[in-house]
Amino acid sequence: MAAGPYNYSYIFKYIIIGDMGVGKSCLLHQFTEKKFMADCPHTIGVEFGTRIIEVTGQKIKLQIWDTAGQERFRAVTRSYYRGAAGALMVYDITRRSTYNHLSSWLTDARNLTNPNTVIFLIGNKCDLDAQRDVTYEEAKQFAEENGLMFLECSAKTGENVEDAFLDTAKKIYQNIQDGSLDLNAAESGVQHKPATPRSPISNDQPPSKEGCAC
Amino acid sequence: MDSIIQDHIDPADLKKFEALYRDQTRRGKVAEKTQFDYAWCLIRSRYQEDMHKGVALLEDLLKNEKDDLAKRDYLYYIAVGHTRLKEYERALKYIDAVTRIEPGNHQARQLHQYIKKKMEKDGLVGMAIVGGAALALGGLVGLGAALLKKK
Ligand SMILES: Nc1nc2c(ncn2[C@@H]2O[C@H](COP(=O)(O)OP(=O)(O)OP(=O)(O)O)[C@@H](O)[C@H]2O)c(=O)[nH]1
Ligand SMILES: [Mg+2]
Repeated sequence: MAAGPYNYSYIFKYIIIGDMGVGKSCLLHQFTEKKFMADCPHTIGVEFGTRIIEVTGQKIKLQIWDTAGQERFRAVTRSYYRGAAGALMVYDITRRSTYNHLSSWLTDARNLTNPNTVIFLIGNKCDLDAQRDVTYEEAKQFAEENGLMFLECSAKTGENVEDAFLDTAKKIYQNIQDGSLDLNAAESGVQHKPATPRSPISNDQPPSKEGCAC
Repeated sequence: MDSIIQDHIDPADLKKFEALYRDQTRRGKVAEKTQFDYAWCLIRSRYQEDMHKGVALLEDLLKNEKDDLAKRDYLYYIAVGHTRLKEYERALKYIDAVTRIEPGNHQARQLHQYIKKKMEKDGLVGMAIVGGAALALGGLVGLGAALLKKK
């Protein structure tokens, strides 16, 4: 805190998308609270969570919007895609239909985010290997064909959950470092918080947005 | 929770859904989905008038809904609308209704906590304003009395 008004130097906006019941909210909860919610109701609209992480010595605040998979919310949740630096696209390895719908989720994500948005494919519920309906290999191939990062995770055991969120941040940070992500571009999904106090010139943020204590 | 309550719709999105709604109204049949999308945009608008309109559209959807999941969604967003309008007592009633359908709903619980906190804060501020007004009034009366005495 001594360095300036913020205890992090970047804010990355994430979205989590995918069919109903694939475990998006449980993944978010596991990542932010390190707990598994056994009886999680279907999300109404959107949920929100934050966590501060560290990537190569930089503190980064992740602002994560977890969208409802219900069809009713499809149109409205789309308005949250804009300006996402990272998108976690989730399917359930025990339900083939959730995997089959990925191309439609991917089309939405590609159309509504910017070309540099990092898209990470998550095959969730890998603790239920006995009920597996989608092989690791085919999902891996789908990810490669579409230029997505990929991991199988379990929101229940926590396996690979950290990695999925952190690897996405690393990739975004790498894009900033090598200049492929322009921080000044509108909707980059990244805000830089200078460590030295300076008058904040926020461009796409609504005024008077309080710090997020959700 | 703050982020959800204070978040605003992009005016372009609002316009888009409004156009769709108007168009269907003109044709005489508005799809539930269109009405819902438009209502949600209205509730996230910056303007109170829009928020009121959004709540009314959701109330209308709620009247004819049989499905519990859909009802829950409408009730929750009506509660969000009232919260944004600072009509906290009403918002709490709708949250109760959500909890009756889904007792363990954490989004409802979070909104409930958020409202309670706001009410406490506003309650204190409200008392301060009333207190201040009483003082001012007292001052005026005092002044009047002083003036009267002078005569
Ligand atoms: N075994 C197992 N169950 C899981 C896992 N992740 C989620 N679940 C269960 O799957 C159900 C749905 O999880 P949610 O996180 O609510 O799913 P969601 O994607 O947020 O669903 P919507 O909000 O409707 O879009 C819950 O009952 C969870 O307990 C997992 O990794 N393993
Ligand atoms: Mg959810």
